[in-house]
Amino acid sequence: MMNESNTILIIDDETQIRRLLEISLTSNGYVTLFASNGKEGLTTAATFNPSVIILDLGLPDIEGLELLVRLREWFTKPIIILSVRNSEDDIVSALDKGANDYLTKPFRSGELIARIRSAIRISNEKGDKPVLDFGFLSIDLVNHVVRKKDEIIKLTHTEFSLLSLLAKNQGRVLTHQFLLKEIWGYSYLEQTQYLRVFIAQLRKKIEDNPSKPELLITESGIGYRFGE
Amino acid sequence: MKPEKQIKFPVFTSGIIQYTIVLLAITIVVFLCRPLATQQGYHIVSFILLFVVSIMAAFLGIGPILLASTISALVWNFFFIPPHFTFNIAATEDKFMFGSFFIVALVNGVLTNRIRRQEKLVREREYQTNALFQLAEELSKARSIERVLEVARGNFKNLFNATSFFILQDGNKNLGSYNQHVNEPFAEIVDTDIVKWVFQNSRKAGKYTDSFPDSSLTYYPLKGAQLNPGVVAIEFNKSVYEKNDAFWFAYFTQVSNALEREFLGELALKARILNESDKLYKTLFNLISHEFRIPIATIMGASDTLLMSHTSERNREELINEIFKASGRLNHLMENLLNMSRLESGKISIHLDWCDIIDLLNKVVKTLKLELEKFQFVSEISPEMPLAKLDFGLMEQAVYNLILNSCQNSPAGSTIRFEAEYENGFLVIQVEDNGPGFPPDTLDKVFEKFYKVNNSKSEGLGLGLSIVKGLAEAHQGTVKAENLLTGGARFTISIPTEIPDMIEIKLE
Repeated sequence: MMNESNTILIIDDETQIRRLLEISLTSNGYVTLFASNGKEGLTTAATFNPSVIILDLGLPDIEGLELLVRLREWFTKPIIILSVRNSEDDIVSALDKGANDYLTKPFRSGELIARIRSAIRISNEKGDKPVLDFGFLSIDLVNHVVRKKDEIIKLTHTEFSLLSLLAKNQGRVLTHQFLLKEIWGYSYLEQTQYLRVFIAQLRKKIEDNPSKPELLITESGIGYRFGE
Repeated sequence: MKPEKQIKFPVFTSGIIQYTIVLLAITIVVFLCRPLATQQGYHIVSFILLFVVSIMAAFLGIGPILLASTISALVWNFFFIPPHFTFNIAATEDKFMFGSFFIVALVNGVLTNRIRRQEKLVREREYQTNALFQLAEELSKARSIERVLEVARGNFKNLFNATSFFILQDGNKNLGSYNQHVNEPFAEIVDTDIVKWVFQNSRKAGKYTDSFPDSSLTYYPLKGAQLNPGVVAIEFNKSVYEKNDAFWFAYFTQVSNALEREFLGELALKARILNESDKLYKTLFNLISHEFRIPIATIMGASDTLLMSHTSERNREELINEIFKASGRLNHLMENLLNMSRLESGKISIHLDWCDIIDLLNKVVKTLKLELEKFQFVSEISPEMPLAKLDFGLMEQAVYNLILNSCQNSPAGSTIRFEAEYENGFLVIQVEDNGPGFPPDTLDKVFEKFYKVNNSKSEGLGLGLSIVKGLAEAHQGTVKAENLLTGGARFTISIPTEIPDMIEIKLE
């Protein structure tokens, strides 16, 4: 059955990739829709309003990033890029143009499923929960209190803003620029050293083992992701 | 040394003006000397006239001087030698005087004129020698065809105020115009037919010459010792053109030789590059056919077995595992090849940004978790280690390759050590292992592409370390390999980097 939260539209021109995705997604309980070019992708997306779109950037008719922008004009649910383009520039510009996540081919199906799940969860959770609970860590967004294993952790105002911004987008990569803009403001867009220092401080406070971070994960050259 | 601007002799170029000056000067002298003659006698007038004629000889051509000598003799006779206002000469001594005056004026004028011409010639020669000397000096420093042309054009413009246009051959005797972008409007007036003719016949043509005299430009062939670089077309006026042929020959030979030198240099370079890329291609081909075949064979064989229905559950799982590993290996090979070619083509763009080395190492360790399980991994980074300005992704790859290399070449259970410190403006990263180290004579080769110590059987293309080198160099840094006294190898990457001014960072 097609329902609101499990339809996935795959826009990719390669048959083998489509078949592979069909098998791995359907066996995980998702319903798949396919489009082999940009135009077909746009109409299928408009007709079925899927819960997630998986988009390849190298389509035969429309340049992937342009298609992303056109989809984003009305499509508010997650778009995950699945592309052979693996340069940081490509990834950052796709994320900046509204992609929720980015995976490069070759990819691991398990990884893709995890990304889809968290993307769906984030988009469903927009009803602003007052407390984010991650098992041993909880973040009280209303009272600005962070607890690790029931122990209150003292965070500065900036540390708290950074942590809660990442946590609210659990599983999603937030780019350096985005984080700097949100936390420090436009004039700090180039000042990545702030981000590095604060992430290192936060890790010391909230991670079990700061040298093997599991909550604040570095995405090389792109940004940070709050772990699952 | 720059030749002075040419001094223009004679000042009065037009013939009519010169003759007018002669007549005017003598008229004035006659007019002024009339009262003088009545007082001092007419002999003194002859000296004044002789003086004026020799002065004029320094400035005027030979024709006006002959006229000046004749007229001054006649005028002296007519106005000053008694009887006045006749050409008759009464006294015999005056007849002698008149005769000798005429001869002295003539000889004086002609000699002065000749000296002046000699002097002009000497100046001209000196100027030409200087021009050649200066050209030779500039050309010897020009280190590319473009630069040679630039020098030649500049020199030509400076010395002769003439525009030159070079049409060079491409090495296969096909003429292409080499410098259209420099003076576009001029390019249109170059006649390609004449250019071809000059190139084929190796003779000058165009304006002022016998062949194609209607053309607006003069064309000279550029002749080198081994090949003829092309043709030069020049727009200049007749007086410049009328320097002697030997000079132009010497001038253009210099340019030709310089062009030929750069031409041959470029050809040799091309040949060397071609040769090297041929060698590289062969190595690459051998390696790829070997390295890629094994994982492909694994994938094909395993999937084929899986397609046959009677495989036990345990075997199925193992086969699937093999496929997964083989595809990972293929992916790694491909990534290495792509990275190498990106580094070599300079297509890697480097984004320097503040990086936390601890974070970077943690990422690498996480990626290499499986490989590192067999080893004691020790990392020594001071907690005070400052941020460094690097490309995080690229440096991560470099550190990954170094640690992976150590894993592949060290006995299980041994120690792999990672150290990073900031030292006098350099970030120094070291990776040490307890492996066999390198045979001493191979230490300088380990960073070469496709190099494998003793053609070791270890899998891979032999690209990992050369990628490290490329990445370090992309950061303006270096990497070196050395053997440890205690056995094992040590790699050191050092990269010039800045560290942030930490006071600037508000920690609130």
